[in-house]
Amino acid sequence: MLKVENLTVNYGYINALNNVNFEVNKGEIITLIGGNGAGKTTTLMSISNLVAKESGRLTFKGADITNLPPHKLVKMGLSHVPEGRKIFPALTVYENLIAGSLGNTDLKKPQINELVQKMYQLFPRLKERCDQGGGTLSGGEQQMLAIARGLMMDPDIIMLDEPSLGLAPIIVEEIFELILKIRDEGKTVLLIEQNASMALSIADRGYVLETGRVVLEGTGKELLNNSDVQKAYLGD
Amino acid sequence: MEYIINQFVNGICQGFIYALMAVGYSVIVGVVGFVTFTHGEVIVFGAFASFYIFLLCGNNLLLGVIGSFAASWLIGIFVYKICYERFFHAPRHIALICTIGVSMLLKNIAQIIFGPNKKPMLNIIKNKIYSFGIVEISKVQIVIILTVIILSALLFIIFMKTRWGISLRAVSQDKTAAAMMGINVKQTAMIGNCMGSGLAGVAGLLIAINYQTVYATMGSNLSIKAFAAAVLGGLTSVPLAALGGILIGIIENMGITFTSASLRDIFTFVFLIIILIFKPQGFSKKKGVRP
Repeated sequence: MLKVENLTVNYGYINALNNVNFEVNKGEIITLIGGNGAGKTTTLMSISNLVAKESGRLTFKGADITNLPPHKLVKMGLSHVPEGRKIFPALTVYENLIAGSLGNTDLKKPQINELVQKMYQLFPRLKERCDQGGGTLSGGEQQMLAIARGLMMDPDIIMLDEPSLGLAPIIVEEIFELILKIRDEGKTVLLIEQNASMALSIADRGYVLETGRVVLEGTGKELLNNSDVQKAYLGD
Repeated sequence: MEYIINQFVNGICQGFIYALMAVGYSVIVGVVGFVTFTHGEVIVFGAFASFYIFLLCGNNLLLGVIGSFAASWLIGIFVYKICYERFFHAPRHIALICTIGVSMLLKNIAQIIFGPNKKPMLNIIKNKIYSFGIVEISKVQIVIILTVIILSALLFIIFMKTRWGISLRAVSQDKTAAAMMGINVKQTAMIGNCMGSGLAGVAGLLIAINYQTVYATMGSNLSIKAFAAAVLGGLTSVPLAALGGILIGIIENMGITFTSASLRDIFTFVFLIIILIFKPQGFSKKKGVRP
């Protein structure tokens, strides 16, 4: 569904990504793991065309999206939930959800209302807080709002950038269960995580990034049992 | 005493015009994210647009308002294309200096097109004075205040109740996140800039019928007054900017009541300086942020 070929990104003289190749198939949960500075976020940012690419080719649903601006990508069904949540602090929870649907202009009012209700079902806590300012939510609630907002554009693939960042373990578990639920609803998930064991345990396939290169790939189970991965990322 | 009260009423009326300019200013700074110095010139073009509409089409206030709004909207597109569109990722002072340059350009274009002389504004509203006890208020003033209130209400509805408003506010809060939501950030920022400019244009029309004159260089002072009022609202808070505008109008008029009309601008700027010294963030508190 989403194919990344020979992606290279430089920040000035610094090489952030070097010939990265990976592929996401429909209905999969794919995870990219790696330490700080491995290029995980950069990968997502360059898929969303928020950073300039040095070279490489991106295809989504068979179409070349290498140079499409972000608002067109969203319309094609690619949703990006950014690192650090980036919800709109002065918009209410409900308005944040509506903001998520703005990019997909095919959605009509009844469909949007339906989606909002669906999000409230998926995230009951958001319903309780629907008139509260987004900035007043707790970290976990903000992350749920960010994911819900990402789903509001009714995407085919949702890219999650470190959804566990700065959250208590129990909330992290809740979020990972939600990710499975999202997949079961027919969405494809591209998950980026530092919490490698959690990410690999729910992922169908995973890629290990190291200083801008893909050094390992395999199914979630294979990578969990791989001794290099265990040493480097799982702390055994 | 009567004189003072009536000066106070004049101050409120003038304050409403400043409020409209300041509201436009805050919308621009809020949505686009850059400080602008072209506001005064936008006001002038709005005023002249209505001047010519009244000249050609007669006394039709609604047409004048629409015309000045539309003319300033177009100027807003021009300013946006030159000053902002390419500079979102550049250091902020580049756009700022660019607006100063464009402001000079527009000022001189205005002088070429409209001539350097003051023109008498047509008397489009039959001036009647209503007395409530010792308070006197003219029909012109009532029209001005009503226009400002109606436009502000419309702006409020657009911003708070429509999807358009949500995308404008989303862009004003976080452009990167808005882009990730699939909002066309550049187009939305341009619309925000044009809406703010349009309001400034209508303010120009109101200034012109209040003073009964229009001239090409009247923008510079007004620009700084709009800025001063917007500073009171922390540059991005629309209601507080409106409050700031009304306050400045009142202070100015009370000031000249006790001194001389030629000192009018001094009061605004002294007030601005005092505010900047003691409360540089304006009256606004950051909303929606966890303490």
